[in-house]
Amino acid sequence: MSEGKIVSIHSFRGGTGKSNVTANLAAQVAMTGKRVGVVDTDIQSPGIHVLFGLDDAKMGKTMNDFLHGKATIREIGFSIGENTGGGEGRSKLAGKNLFLFPSSIRGREISQILREGIDFNLLNEGMQTTISEFDLDYLFIDTHPGLNEETLLSIATSDVLIIILRPDNQDLQGTSVTVDVARSLDVPNLFLLVNKALPKYDFAEIKTTIEAQFQAPVTSVLPLSFDLAENASIDLFSLRYPDHEWSKALRNVVDFVLNAK
Amino acid sequence: MPGVFDRLDKEIKDKQKEGGISPLDLAELSPAFRKIMRLMLRELQMSYPRLCEVVEAMPEKDRLTRAELDSALSSLTEQFWLIRIGENEKAIYKVNLKRKAGSTLASGIWSSLDAKLKGKPAKNEE
Repeated sequence: MSEGKIVSIHSFRGGTGKSNVTANLAAQVAMTGKRVGVVDTDIQSPGIHVLFGLDDAKMGKTMNDFLHGKATIREIGFSIGENTGGGEGRSKLAGKNLFLFPSSIRGREISQILREGIDFNLLNEGMQTTISEFDLDYLFIDTHPGLNEETLLSIATSDVLIIILRPDNQDLQGTSVTVDVARSLDVPNLFLLVNKALPKYDFAEIKTTIEAQFQAPVTSVLPLSFDLAENASIDLFSLRYPDHEWSKALRNVVDFVLNAK
Repeated sequence: MPGVFDRLDKEIKDKQKEGGISPLDLAELSPAFRKIMRLMLRELQMSYPRLCEVVEAMPEKDRLTRAELDSALSSLTEQFWLIRIGENEKAIYKVNLKRKAGSTLASGIWSSLDAKLKGKPAKNEE
């Protein structure tokens, strides 16, 4: 098996902060000196590129081009370390090895995928090739919320799966479905991450309760933060405000990723 | 005149059209089959001797005997979930995933959506 590890970030429901966590976590791992890639497999509703300062005008070739045989993986990889896009937080990534493999935000290209379907042999080949072509230590996969075929494929090929949930009963029920599926796919490292916890709650108690319910480690409990909401995805919050409670809690997750076997 | 690689590529593509495993099926596989499919998904393609090597290097609790491996490979190949090129020691195996089906909505819906989107080209589109 190739040396680089695949880390899938998933949530059963939308609005959990999945893309924000994925982008910040990938950036934090890149800051440790590792070579890191981020693939946006949320082809129906891509969004993670915004956190890395890309818009339609700056975006070159995309995963959609790869899936239609119009581009190679080498052509899609966008070096964030060489194009930090100006944000105060992102500028700290200058010279780091962090590459984004974005999905298209053009309406016609999204509708083409929905209409024609996806060649999964090619999608899987693309994900594995990013690791070898870019000599990655870690490849983060930002998935579409809920369970669909792309998500199952990314879970099935992952070394590490991080399931994000809010302390909310709808999320808890949905997460149990995802945990069952992940266990049936033999994912070697299954972790949970609680996001948007109200600060008035006892975070240690949340952690203990959820770990007992799912029999899986909770890597961190991140607070619901108005400061993060105010950031509005214009920058990588944990790099811009490294001393903020949310950023400190996020950095707890880095060790779980780096120490995963 | 097509070379040997072109012919092999065509052979693989022809076989891929004959079926494939969907990501949904992966969760339903037996533990032995799933181990092989997970391995193949990561490696994309492997020769038979390399597969034997990797299986032998697995932790004892996960290891398959040669007979179990051969039987699993044979069954996975029959179902076109793996594609085999060549025979015996020279065989190369490649995973075969079923294509995700496109939308079943009436084609008229997509034509009108396309027409509307064409009216609003993105900034850097031709």
